[in-house]
Amino acid sequence: MTNVKFLNPFVDAVVDVLKAECGVEARRGQLSLQKLALTTDDLTVLISLVGQVQGVVLYGLSTQTGLDLVSRVMEQPFHELDSLAQSGVAELGNVITGRATVKLSQAGYEANISPPTLIVGKGTQVSTLDFTRIVVPLETELGTLVIHLALRESPPGQARENFVPVNIATKA
Amino acid sequence: MNVKFLNPFVEAAFEVLQSEAGCTMTRAELRLEKEPYVSDDVTVIISLIGRVEGNVFYSMSADTALRLASRMLGENLDEFDMLAQSGIAELGNVITGKASVKLSQAGFAATISPPTLMQGQGATISTLDYPRLVVPLKGDCGPLVIHLALREGADRTFNPAHNPVAPTHIQ
Repeated sequence: MTNVKFLNPFVDAVVDVLKAECGVEARRGQLSLQKLALTTDDLTVLISLVGQVQGVVLYGLSTQTGLDLVSRVMEQPFHELDSLAQSGVAELGNVITGRATVKLSQAGYEANISPPTLIVGKGTQVSTLDFTRIVVPLETELGTLVIHLALRESPPGQARENFVPVNIATKA
Repeated sequence: MNVKFLNPFVEAAFEVLQSEAGCTMTRAELRLEKEPYVSDDVTVIISLIGRVEGNVFYSMSADTALRLASRMLGENLDEFDMLAQSGIAELGNVITGKASVKLSQAGFAATISPPTLMQGQGATISTLDYPRLVVPLKGDCGPLVIHLALREGADRTFNPAHNPVAPTHIQ
């Protein structure tokens, strides 16, 4: 079960970063909890967390919203999703997640983040397996950014260790 | 992409596929890719954070995924249901975990993230400024491909002794 106390650091981070980098206001929409796989929008940034909080964070948005946000960040118009634009979208996800981990750290949860991957392609299924997802849309004048949080506290003693089961069949 | 990261993954994959699914695998020709990965039917995504960092993908067709899951779980699965998906994701987790032990012994300690499973071919997954080493594996459990988008990182392993403000939690 994803812990709701991880939610606000991410919502606040999105609001802060979109304001600072893109000059847009973001308003939180209706929360939902999802167990089934996520069906991707045009663009999805995926970043993993390890440490006292572990799991995956995904940011979903349309191509147009991605282009518009990146145009604001880089102060030049982007009309197509070339590699620079893609890099910009992934970097936004990276900055937001980094900022969220600072807030998590202030709340006593240390975590490190992975480099981002960017998935381009609507309609693929992304499953976070036994991590239930909290889904929060953030509405802006440039479109919606949806945050998916599949996070949990690491069990005691596991923050530093890689937990690897001895045998797959017995774990399943 | 440092080629010294390659062998720990190849060895780990051979060992795990042998012990978990009874398959003997061999490696086909490597290549380095700068273009984004175009997804196969099933992809497991796992990140590494530490002295070696980046992302690793394990990709395969739906057919291979089902056969592999069936072998690992000792059941005859006809659809790629939650149990099968969990098995494949776990496979990626175990291989990566084993590789991380070998990497650690070589001086590259890293923490691995929980796995994410992606289904749906034709999406592109970009690892941005990390070029990808593509390692095709063949054998009774295959074909399956390991993609390594890794490079040396700073030592970011978390040490609780350095963070006195972190409260202890009772689970």
